[in-house]
Amino acid sequence: MSQNADLTLSRPKAPALPTLRLPRLSIHTLVVGGVFTLLALPLVATLGYALATSWGATLLPDGLTLKWFLELWSTPRFQLAFARSMLVTLGALVLSLVLVVPVALLAHTRYPRLDTWMNGLVLVPFAVPPVVSSVGLLQLYAGGPLPLVGSPWILIFTYVTIALPFVYRAVANSLRTIDVKSLMDAAQLLGATPFSAFFLVILPNIRIGVQVAVFLSFSFLVGEFVFANMLVGTRFETLQVYLNNMRGASGHFTSALVITLFLFTLLLTWLGNRQSGHAIAKDANA
Amino acid sequence: MITLTAAPYARDHLPTLDRRDTVADAPARQQGTTTTASPDYLRLESLAKRFGETQVFSQIDAVIAKGEFVTLLGPSGCGKSTLLRAIAGLNSLDEGRIVVSGEEITALPPQQRGVGMVFQHYALFPNMRVTDNVAFGLRMQKVPQEERRRRVDEVLRLVELREHADKFPHQLSGGQCQRVALARALVVEPRILLMDEPLSALDARIRRHLRQQLRDIQKTLGLTTLFVTHDQEEALMMSDRIFLMHDGRILQQGDAEALYTRPCSHQAAGFMGHYNVLSGHQAHALLGEVSRAARVALRPEAIYLQLVSDTTPGGELPTHAGPGCRGVIRRRQLLGNVVRYAVECSGIELSVDALNRGSCHLLAEECEVLVFVDLDEVQEIEE
Amino acid sequence: MKRLLPAWLWLMPFALVFVAFQMAPLGWIAVSAFQVEGSWGLGHFQEIATSPFFRQAIWRSLEISLVSSLLGLIIAVLACHSLTRTSGPLRRWMIAFTNMTSNFAGVPLAFAFIILMGANGVLTLALQRVGLIDDFSLYSRTGLIVIYTWFQIPLGMLLLFPAFAGLRADWRDAASLLGAGRVAYWCHIGLPVLRPALAGTFTILIANAMGAYATVYALVNTSYNLMTIRIANLVSGDLFLQPNLASALALILVGLLAMVTLIQQWLLRRSHHVAER
Repeated sequence: MSQNADLTLSRPKAPALPTLRLPRLSIHTLVVGGVFTLLALPLVATLGYALATSWGATLLPDGLTLKWFLELWSTPRFQLAFARSMLVTLGALVLSLVLVVPVALLAHTRYPRLDTWMNGLVLVPFAVPPVVSSVGLLQLYAGGPLPLVGSPWILIFTYVTIALPFVYRAVANSLRTIDVKSLMDAAQLLGATPFSAFFLVILPNIRIGVQVAVFLSFSFLVGEFVFANMLVGTRFETLQVYLNNMRGASGHFTSALVITLFLFTLLLTWLGNRQSGHAIAKDANA
Repeated sequence: MITLTAAPYARDHLPTLDRRDTVADAPARQQGTTTTASPDYLRLESLAKRFGETQVFSQIDAVIAKGEFVTLLGPSGCGKSTLLRAIAGLNSLDEGRIVVSGEEITALPPQQRGVGMVFQHYALFPNMRVTDNVAFGLRMQKVPQEERRRRVDEVLRLVELREHADKFPHQLSGGQCQRVALARALVVEPRILLMDEPLSALDARIRRHLRQQLRDIQKTLGLTTLFVTHDQEEALMMSDRIFLMHDGRILQQGDAEALYTRPCSHQAAGFMGHYNVLSGHQAHALLGEVSRAARVALRPEAIYLQLVSDTTPGGELPTHAGPGCRGVIRRRQLLGNVVRYAVECSGIELSVDALNRGSCHLLAEECEVLVFVDLDEVQEIEE
Repeated sequence: MKRLLPAWLWLMPFALVFVAFQMAPLGWIAVSAFQVEGSWGLGHFQEIATSPFFRQAIWRSLEISLVSSLLGLIIAVLACHSLTRTSGPLRRWMIAFTNMTSNFAGVPLAFAFIILMGANGVLTLALQRVGLIDDFSLYSRTGLIVIYTWFQIPLGMLLLFPAFAGLRADWRDAASLLGAGRVAYWCHIGLPVLRPALAGTFTILIANAMGAYATVYALVNTSYNLMTIRIANLVSGDLFLQPNLASALALILVGLLAMVTLIQQWLLRRSHHVAER
């Protein structure tokens, strides 16, 4: 409506010039540009620092180099931390799929009320801050019959619960797009056992949804710090804990680490979004 | 001004709706008392609009009388909605003047034009109840609460929605929503009512009902109305006058009868009914020496079929029937009260409508027929 | 599946893990918070209530969450409003970028801010040279509010943008034809329609800030007094571990989050408006 106001006010009775619209547009572009700058600043500064030979009390770095990245990537401690992060994250994702897929399947075929329950349950890991959960976890699993604190296992199991919202929603949504019951019935009428029907018919049909969930929770779990630091810490040093322990190191070195981590999660998110893009394109074609 | 004939309704329930033109306090207040008194109530003078390189519409000239119901009819993308929004002030114009009862409103913002509008998707405010939606315009005019309540009540009675006054839009059906939208536009007593495909989001049964109701209310209030639609049946049923639009131009204007029976161009013929449009050459083959025009338009109901084997003199044939021409029925579609045949005749496929008078009168596919054309109904059109 | 095992048995592994690693820890907190030296009591809560140290932590957590959520919300609202008015490609690109930055949190974020706004940070030096700031410390309350606000903005934008995209141009047109100017439109239609989304987003931002730990910890270790810092320090610090006191404080944190959610729900219900369409 401001457009009309602007136009009509600035115009006598002669035909209007279309160029009069430009100023209004640029205010909004300016705001978006401002917010973009605000959000980009820390990333740009860190990237600059990671690529700078040195950056003292000047506005721009002295020179550019890749040596900090090369140094980081060839550090054994970094490589080990990376491997540990992969191990814990992959372990948690595989386990959560194994646990969640049957639940989602049953919720869709046999117990419709289970779906309502699960939709409530998946909110718990979102609502409870990790610090709170880890207080209880530390006490329950520090000793006793299940002394898991300090081992990667407690991280794997805890990550299963915090990945639950992503994984369950994705699997449930994929199941909703196909008619599970008819597909299972059809496959069994054609002679498949329930197991082979599931693996040959249902699983391929929900694969894309599951992949999206895996990529998204992967990037989320790789970035997890609180549980990793409080439950395990240096006894099984993951990437985030390693980064925290590197606080004394050169700023260029830690910058390279921050950027590496960021690019890694970016890659995972991009892969996830690409998959969901495929899924949408496939739906549109169908 | 609305001291129209059939106004017991208006007199009983709508005293305030007699006071028109309060919105912009127009000088036209004391103008005529009937529709004929102000034949140029709304004038559009060579309106033109372009978006970047594309010309949306141009050379739009029209004079609309007070109380007239005018429909802008055209296929989607012909510029009719943009034109309507330009009259409302929601879009700017590149050229031209809009004059309402002598006052130019071209440069006024939408708030000051005294124009009401009904949108295709209702545009009801979802956070307000029906009453608050309807009262919104009065609130903006700072009408005192007592009067506001009375006028909202009256207009809700007019659209038969009083019992839904306390509901939210999402609790209403599409037809009810559109009636609320109409009430909301009417209650501020606009000088002109604009309607942008108000019925096309509704399903067929409701659409037919609401069509009639809209037209009745419009007549009762004597509202100058500009109605946009792409549905020719709707346009024919409702309008005093139809402006047929194509590619940003007004192709033809006239009342429903004129537009339907006398299309002036092949676009017009193509859009109205299921006209058979023949080239001069084809017309010659079918009609003999009758026509020398570039093109000829034939309504499907102006063509008559008779079985070749049927030798009884054609009692149903029109007096000015042309010479019979042999043809074959290729397809038959039952449309309810009408049967539509596709007849191949002299290498031309013709669409022919006949009244459905029971199965014994139906002609079978692939049977041979004589095709007669009512020569009075042959419409010569420009290229 | 019928022949192999009863169907519900397939739910058990999941139930077991979820109970053991999500519900049991919560249950343990709820119980141990009321355990004072082997018997039931409210001693830990009394201790927290009377200790200026803990009260300061609660107060500062609330303060930083409220301020950063409010600032984040305001910036997100402005950004979303402008986004709806910009061209399609720019909008899509900006949303993708916002998505990216919303993943940038915790320790890496703290380090990036140290490089940008630390004592020798690029921006700190630049602003000092221009004379805009004298002594800015990232490790102070102001510094923390800046960094918290930064990570609230993308989250707020992602949560709010769908609501802004749902504001239909029709409503604005209809309002203007009925005589409403820009201000009247926002007062009577725009903001009321957005209110549920605004309230919901504000609640999520507050919860996000109240529960945040990694960023502050990486930035100031334990030297800034916040609830999450205190809780973590009571169970994994170097000195005296007091898990039961940690439980009590954790329970207070959960209670505050629940309260914020309840207030929001209550406000929503009071406003009658059912968001649909």
